[in-house]
Amino acid sequence: MSAYAALTGAGFRAQVRDKATLFFTFAFPLIFLVVFGLIFSGQDVKASGRPYISYIAPGVMSWGVANAAVFSVAFTLMQWRRDDLLRLIRMTPTRLPAVLGSRYVLALGVGVVQAVLFVGIALLPPFGLELKSSWPLALPVLVFGITAFLTIGVVIGSLADTPEAVAAIANCLMVPMAFLSGSFMPMDMLPDWLQTGSRILPLRYLNDAVSAALSGRGDMGDIVLGCGGLVVFTVIFGAVSLKTFRWSNRA
Amino acid sequence: MTDATAVPAERHEATEQTTIVIEEIRKRYGDRDAVAGVSLQVRRGEFFGLLGPNGAGKTTLVEIMEGLREADSGKVTVLGQQPWPRNVALLPRMGVQTQSSAFFVRQTAREHLTTVAALFGAGHDAADSALADVGLTGQRDVMVENLSGGQRQRLAIASALVHGPELIFLDEPTAALDPQARRDLWEVLRGLKRQGRTIVYTTHHLDEAEALCDRVAILVDGRIAALDSPHNLVSSAGVPTRLMIPEGRLSPEDALAIEGVDSAELQGGSLVLETRVSGQVLTAVDKLAGLNDVQTRTATLEDVYLELTGSLAGTGQDGDNDTEQQA
Ligand SMILES: Nc1ncnc2c1ncn2[C@@H]1O[C@H](COP(=O)(O)OP(=O)(O)O)[C@@H](O)[C@H]1O
Ligand SMILES: [Mg+2]
Repeated sequence: MSAYAALTGAGFRAQVRDKATLFFTFAFPLIFLVVFGLIFSGQDVKASGRPYISYIAPGVMSWGVANAAVFSVAFTLMQWRRDDLLRLIRMTPTRLPAVLGSRYVLALGVGVVQAVLFVGIALLPPFGLELKSSWPLALPVLVFGITAFLTIGVVIGSLADTPEAVAAIANCLMVPMAFLSGSFMPMDMLPDWLQTGSRILPLRYLNDAVSAALSGRGDMGDIVLGCGGLVVFTVIFGAVSLKTFRWSNRA
Repeated sequence: MTDATAVPAERHEATEQTTIVIEEIRKRYGDRDAVAGVSLQVRRGEFFGLLGPNGAGKTTLVEIMEGLREADSGKVTVLGQQPWPRNVALLPRMGVQTQSSAFFVRQTAREHLTTVAALFGAGHDAADSALADVGLTGQRDVMVENLSGGQRQRLAIASALVHGPELIFLDEPTAALDPQARRDLWEVLRGLKRQGRTIVYTTHHLDEAEALCDRVAILVDGRIAALDSPHNLVSSAGVPTRLMIPEGRLSPEDALAIEGVDSAELQGGSLVLETRVSGQVLTAVDKLAGLNDVQTRTATLEDVYLELTGSLAGTGQDGDNDTEQQA
């Protein structure tokens, strides 16, 4: 068995055996989707005349996927460093790309399962999401999004030395960002300056691109712009993560 | 006292029979020498102990040999190669014990070991035979989180041998174990030695070094204070033998009058005599008080160690005297 396959297998088992993480990855975002979806069932957003679900479904999906990517890699990295597992890996001939590759594939797998689950639920009659023909484009958008948020997770996992610190930093970042990027409520409801200001947030780009692909709120240009923005964030946080990465908590 | 620098006469034929050669290794942290010029050789198949109080520099020295740290100066050769920077050709030939928490989470013992084996590119049976080597076959399907302290320690050691390395580094593997688990682990370690592996072992348990190691280096303040077999260290140290005579059988004055008795003191219900000629003194005690219930305690590595660490701690450093004594 290759190092890559073994690491992916171990990561997969760790993921499916962790009930709390499974809940926060799959069930928690669904609660938002269901609650908001039922409250606003059949209603349209006044500013645009579009059904509310066409906002909330892509929004919750983007947030859920981004959140899972950030938390999973940040927790894993913090824990591997704290428990000296990074040191164990460093003492084997396994090259870093095999380690990174396995984590990347796991994160993409989780993101795809989340996307299918959330969209599947939103399509059910009480919610009534209508998919546009451009929906397959949501897949590459998700890949760009997961990549960007993984690099953010690596930075957090390098800075934080305890699970509490990971949760604190990641929540401080992800919760306000979800509201300001239009994940839980339509951007149209926010003041103009916030709509413009939120362009500094990576989740805004993911949200816009996923919305454009799934529910046609936006066009091809929005998808390309979203992916471009995510690539820029990937480069920035990738560079930062190279600076902050530590093999061990001991100097 | 054994002089470490005088030990290896065979320095120049340091090839076939020598697994590790380090020469004049130094490592400084801030204004403190963690390792202050250490030279030693570890022979093939040897069980080599590094002994010393906390902060003596054992871990730093071992990590330099493992290639986890770079020495400031000096030369390190492990299995004929340089361990620093990360030497991917050398890594499969070495096994390094990590903390007993370095496990892939939510895996069984066997799943964890299979993953580690794959990181080394080792075959599929590797995990099962490593589990057998450390006596964990019965726990193979137990989640790593549910193993006891001793079992975790053994799994950490199994992780260091799963790929069949020639050379194994163990840094205080028995530190957190209860006495029974410690003894059990000794058996595991003896088994590894019988398989012909070279083992570098740090500990501050002296009984352990005496029971397991072929040779021991005693490290104090980053320097080697002594390096020899436990037997030679004990016999060359000139530490007196103690005779314990039940109180009341012999007065301290009479005892001191015996030729060869260096001191006589009442301690905990016994009259304790110190002597370097125990045979002669025992004969005299026999005549004066009889040998019933008289106990003798000969020198152990612990005495050598206490003498060395007590007299040397702090001397090499400028006013730095915070070395903790552990025995
Ligand atoms: N990364 C580090 N930074 C600064 N000082 C260190 C570091 N690692 C070890 N030291 C210091 O070096 C000395 C030797 O430490 P160490 O090698 O861990 O000793 P031992 O393993 O014998 O207890 C100690 O004084 C310790 O505080
Ligand atoms: Mg140490």
